[in-house]
Amino acid sequence: MTMKKMIFVLAYALVVVSVFAFTKTTENNKLAILLSNQYAQQMADASDKMEELDTAVKQTLLFNQSEGSKKAREDIWRLSSDIKRSVASLPLDTAFSTSWINYLGRIGNYAKVADASSEPGEYHKVMSQASKNLGAMHDDWRLATAGLINGRYSMDEWNNKLNASNPDINWSNLSTSIKQYTEADFPLTASESDAMKKKELKNIDEAKVTQAEAVERFKTLFPQVSNDVVGVDRSKPGSPYPFYHIRFTDGESIGYIDITEKGGHVLSYLAERPYGKTSVPFEELKKFGEEFLKAAGYKDLVYEEARENNTAWHFVFVREEPFYGAKVFSDVIHLKLAKDTGDVLGLNAMEYIQKEKLHRQSIKKMNWKEFFHRDVQIVENELAYVENERKEQRLAHYLKVTRDENGHIGTYNVLVDTETSEVIKTEKLD
Amino acid sequence: MKKILLRIMIVALLLGTAYATSPIKIDAFSSRDIARGATGDDVIELQARLQYAGFYNGKIDGKFGYGTYWALRNFQDKYGLPIDGIAGSQTKKKLTSASKYDQKFVMDNLKKGNQFTHYGGTPLSAQVKKGGGGRENMNLPSKYSQQDLNLMANAVYGEARGEPYEGQVAVAAVILNRVEHPDFPDTISGVIFQPLAFTAVADGQIWLTPNERAKEAVLDALNGWDPSENSIYYFNPITATSKWIWSRPQVKKIGLHIFCH
Repeated sequence: MTMKKMIFVLAYALVVVSVFAFTKTTENNKLAILLSNQYAQQMADASDKMEELDTAVKQTLLFNQSEGSKKAREDIWRLSSDIKRSVASLPLDTAFSTSWINYLGRIGNYAKVADASSEPGEYHKVMSQASKNLGAMHDDWRLATAGLINGRYSMDEWNNKLNASNPDINWSNLSTSIKQYTEADFPLTASESDAMKKKELKNIDEAKVTQAEAVERFKTLFPQVSNDVVGVDRSKPGSPYPFYHIRFTDGESIGYIDITEKGGHVLSYLAERPYGKTSVPFEELKKFGEEFLKAAGYKDLVYEEARENNTAWHFVFVREEPFYGAKVFSDVIHLKLAKDTGDVLGLNAMEYIQKEKLHRQSIKKMNWKEFFHRDVQIVENELAYVENERKEQRLAHYLKVTRDENGHIGTYNVLVDTETSEVIKTEKLD
Repeated sequence: MKKILLRIMIVALLLGTAYATSPIKIDAFSSRDIARGATGDDVIELQARLQYAGFYNGKIDGKFGYGTYWALRNFQDKYGLPIDGIAGSQTKKKLTSASKYDQKFVMDNLKKGNQFTHYGGTPLSAQVKKGGGGRENMNLPSKYSQQDLNLMANAVYGEARGEPYEGQVAVAAVILNRVEHPDFPDTISGVIFQPLAFTAVADGQIWLTPNERAKEAVLDALNGWDPSENSIYYFNPITATSKWIWSRPQVKKIGLHIFCH
């Protein structure tokens, strides 16, 4: 009798588990199909839009005057942005998708800034070549995405193929050819190269400092936390600019400082520690910050803004160019100061190390009443150097303007090129 | 007798001078001057009082932005105070006498995340709408939103919660470097949710609730810190399965992660 009961209970349990497992598997299959359908649709959409992009590129080639091709160029920008978004959201080989995103970004940007940056002849030359290459790239895209679009592979099979050591699609070759097309069609402009060099700090031309000198620099700048240096590493060989990575712990403070090997410049410093309750007033903190920067040798900076958070204030200081007295927003230093003691908890000087090369520029007289709508008020007007879309440093009127927006005062920064009156940037301020 | 009288007069004069030059005691606010960029309870009180007096119609969120700044300047203008947009002792005193502040009402609604206003002359109970409000916890550079911070904190916590603080800031910086890099999507959410990009997205750990440390790390990255030194990838050499990631030029190691270009 007991045996019979046991068999009954076990059989019952087996049925329940089987039903559960069956339901779960069906549900998982449904989800997998749903997901692969969505991806297939996105891939097919991207494929269609690539054809539209090719058409838009060809349409721009019909005209000599840039005004005639304006609409088609806007289409290139919009379509390339759309396809970029689709490519970024699809499960594709990383190198393949990053190459595509890069190409699409470049073709979109080229079309967008064509008015200001290229001769009509130059535009025709570049886009004719791009149109030819787009066709070949589109064929590669169709080949690479066919398995998922035509339903040949499930999501699992597609992922397995992506991660396989010998995939049936040679992703590496595909991404290399897209890179080649990118380099051929849209090589980096001189100003873009400059921007990248600056970012990578490759071309610092100063004497090397030793590890001991780097540690000494740290101790001079931050004597309050430099008693116990835990370790000093040199950056790895792949770093475009060699630096020393110094880690420290002092009492309850723990943190790091990175110092360039060439010239011994501070890249960044950050300390973490528990915080007390006492609060140093803002004006005093600002003074501490300014004094610290002067003592550290950063003598051409002016205060730009500050933001308070739970434990610290983040300060922004920018370089002041002496001829026009203009702020240089690309040469910036950030400071983080503790609210409880006023200690410098963070210094970020990466973008300050290599100062921007600035050029004199004429300042056209502006009639702001005609330039802005009548309900706009200019509340501040100064000069600043700022990077435009073509990565060039331009002298600009740095205006703070307000406008009544249904009883609420909206505040904006507007940067207007002093020579061409081009609006380089408009930013809404909270 | 004359000497005593003289002494009394001197003491009285000194006391009078001390009284006249002593800081004005205000029955509200903290003692600090409140200026643009500030956050905290006294900013909440400032916004609530300005709203009560009809000068501020923005959100009471504890963030002293431009909306609060212009409202304060207008208040100072109307009451003949020096117009500097800073709530110093004189301005706070005038504001305290010209308005009321229902601290409990304001704080309760902020805590509950309600939408509310604090205008004078209207019953407060009629100025509340449930949900959609709340206090802004972090003061961010203007190009970033609270949603950016939250999403990045989720990603950093999911990816690097066991790492040193520097490593957490570096992971956040990698996300931002990708946004700026031509090979990646140009939004924070696009970068984070790009398929196969982050393990924490694939295994669902991104939806764990981040701690304050992860949020602080993201805040430092949003404010410009980049301990990864411009890296766009990182990996854990113990668990990484991709051969390709080893081919990337390596920059530095922080905790368990190697950061690379």
